[in-house]
Amino acid sequence: MNNQANNSSAPTGTVLNIQRYCSHDGPGIRTTVFLKGCSLRCKWCGNPESIRQKPELAYDPKLCVGKKECGACLKPPCPEGAFYVIDGPDDKIHINWDLASNCGEETVAVCPTKALYLFGERMTVDQVLDEVEKDSSFYRTTGGGMTLSGGECLLQPDFSAALLKGAHERGFNTAIETACNVPWRFVEQVLPHVDTMLHDHKMTVPERHKKWVGVDNKRILENFKKAYETFPNIDFIARTPLIPGINADEEHIRAVLAFIRPHKNVIDYELLPYHRFGLGKYEFLGWVYELDDYKSPSPELVAHLQAIIDEAFGRSGKTATT
Amino acid sequence: MSIEAGHAGLIRRIAINTGAGYVPGMNAVIMGAALAAGRLGWEMIGIRDGFDGLLHPDRYPDGGLLTLSPELVENLDPAGSGVLGQSLRVDPFHVRQVTEDGMVEEVDMSDQLLERLKAENIDALISVVGGRGLSILYKLHRKGLNVVCVPRSIENDIAATMVSFGFNSALSFTVEMLDRVRQAAQSARKIGVVEVLGEQAGWLALQAGIAARADVVLIPEIPCDLQKVATRLKEKVTPRRPYGLVVVAEGATFIDDPNEKTQTSSFKASLSPLATGEASEHVIHRTGHAAETVANKLQLLIAEETYPLVLGPWVRGGVPTAVDRQLGLGYGAGAVRAMRSGKYGVMMAFAPPDIQYVPLSEAINKIRTVPLDCEFIKIAQSLGICLGREL
Repeated sequence: MNNQANNSSAPTGTVLNIQRYCSHDGPGIRTTVFLKGCSLRCKWCGNPESIRQKPELAYDPKLCVGKKECGACLKPPCPEGAFYVIDGPDDKIHINWDLASNCGEETVAVCPTKALYLFGERMTVDQVLDEVEKDSSFYRTTGGGMTLSGGECLLQPDFSAALLKGAHERGFNTAIETACNVPWRFVEQVLPHVDTMLHDHKMTVPERHKKWVGVDNKRILENFKKAYETFPNIDFIARTPLIPGINADEEHIRAVLAFIRPHKNVIDYELLPYHRFGLGKYEFLGWVYELDDYKSPSPELVAHLQAIIDEAFGRSGKTATT
Repeated sequence: MSIEAGHAGLIRRIAINTGAGYVPGMNAVIMGAALAAGRLGWEMIGIRDGFDGLLHPDRYPDGGLLTLSPELVENLDPAGSGVLGQSLRVDPFHVRQVTEDGMVEEVDMSDQLLERLKAENIDALISVVGGRGLSILYKLHRKGLNVVCVPRSIENDIAATMVSFGFNSALSFTVEMLDRVRQAAQSARKIGVVEVLGEQAGWLALQAGIAARADVVLIPEIPCDLQKVATRLKEKVTPRRPYGLVVVAEGATFIDDPNEKTQTSSFKASLSPLATGEASEHVIHRTGHAAETVANKLQLLIAEETYPLVLGPWVRGGVPTAVDRQLGLGYGAGAVRAMRSGKYGVMMAFAPPDIQYVPLSEAINKIRTVPLDCEFIKIAQSLGICLGREL
């Protein structure tokens, strides 16, 4: 570990996960660092474990050896009723997430098989960058680098800025994924160290944005516009998580295009078709999944909307038809 | 109204609220509790929308609390929808709000809740909640709240009581709809596959399936083998009887098919640990998934046409049956009796013929599932209903 890791003045942050070999989060092969904490509550969120900023309990039942062999979490210091076993042949521990909501390191420490663990870990800048460094050869050959994602990476501006600056110093390309629902001062602090910014245009109409995401999009759009104008050398890539019945319509796509096309440093607009793969994690965290009955968009719809984007960007491809 | 003499303890002002999700009979519980409290000379206050009326009174032009006077309660329609409303979730430990800085976050408002109750001189609370709400109320009780819970469950999956109110109304409506599906299947010469509520417990599917004389009933407690189901249906669906009825609980599980692999994501979902695998396997993908799965697979296995239908959430509404009205009134009145005896941190439970109360610590962390040796299973077997595999 680098010496700076022990420097108490260096910023630390809460990291959810470091994912290697990513190819969708900026140019080339990348390592994506997921930071914990988000300032929005998108009802379709596929990474609910990234929402709360503090580390929180997670449970992998595959690693649990059951009450007969262990049962350590059924006793203090674990809270009464937080862990239990159902009558019957299944000997594995179940979790009452409402009673376990304050469980932290003390609880995790009692589990010998690490079935109980924490989502999120405090890390220093150099701890993260040393992990990212492991794939530096890929970055050099593919033009890749490090991407900060989340949650919302701009919610930890000191840590994010230091990470991105450090990545630049080590010669890595940098990117962030953000929804930009933060005060401008956070954006301003981080963007000088960013090469590519992937940013979400989730909804056009403010009231609808508030309904589905938790707040309206006024400040978000202001931040986007200011960022396009203040940082002309950053490559901006707009994105929309595409959900039928919510925003998978031409009107939204055309509104986003009208917003981004005047800015030449917005180099692309990507569609992220909605999926439901994160659903199991809501169960895991004891959360309610609010988007219960929605389906993924059809390939035909995605292709149709993509054609509109391609046309706007002057790319060859199918012409959009209505 | 005459006032019942007797011990009223220190309690003079009590409150009632209802948890997330409508269940037929809510007003009956409120009525039962308010009438019983009135006879003791206690004032009954209703909290609007879970705890919102207490925590966010500014959102209510007419006030977040509603005095449930004898006059109001006398005129309350027991068949009407809940007079107090509901919130999406009743959890004062995680109240979602937007900060001055425009950030969405969840904050613990349990202390404020207890303070607000104190400020309103409310001594104790009757809370009408489902299985999950019991844990939250238990947490509040450990923080000092005097609470008596009334169990409500469409699926009848709360373990500590024989019957939760709401179940009987849902069962009656489900049977009525199954009868109609049966008639439609008969005239269309098809097999109707009807999905009903029941994520972890199959009571609704099993009891409704028996009452409607279904050919097949699939419940979460019995992982089914669709090959065996198809074989049984081939015997039952004949040229002389060219139709069938399959009832499937939304949480029905299937014996592993080696040819079918769990869908995994190659993109975002794979970026987080636990996105797939064991944790995801028993998640209800969406309403209608179970019916669609069963209907599609059966159609591939037999030479008959199937059609999926989803009753699911429809059964949450409607008029309560006589049983639920009685149960609701009984639970409400019983909750006041529990308070009068100084019993707190308890849940009302129906143990025929009595209404009793059990400690919340014994009511949580249990699910009332269908035992494989129970009478309803035996009845279904005797009637020749296929339960998904041999037992």
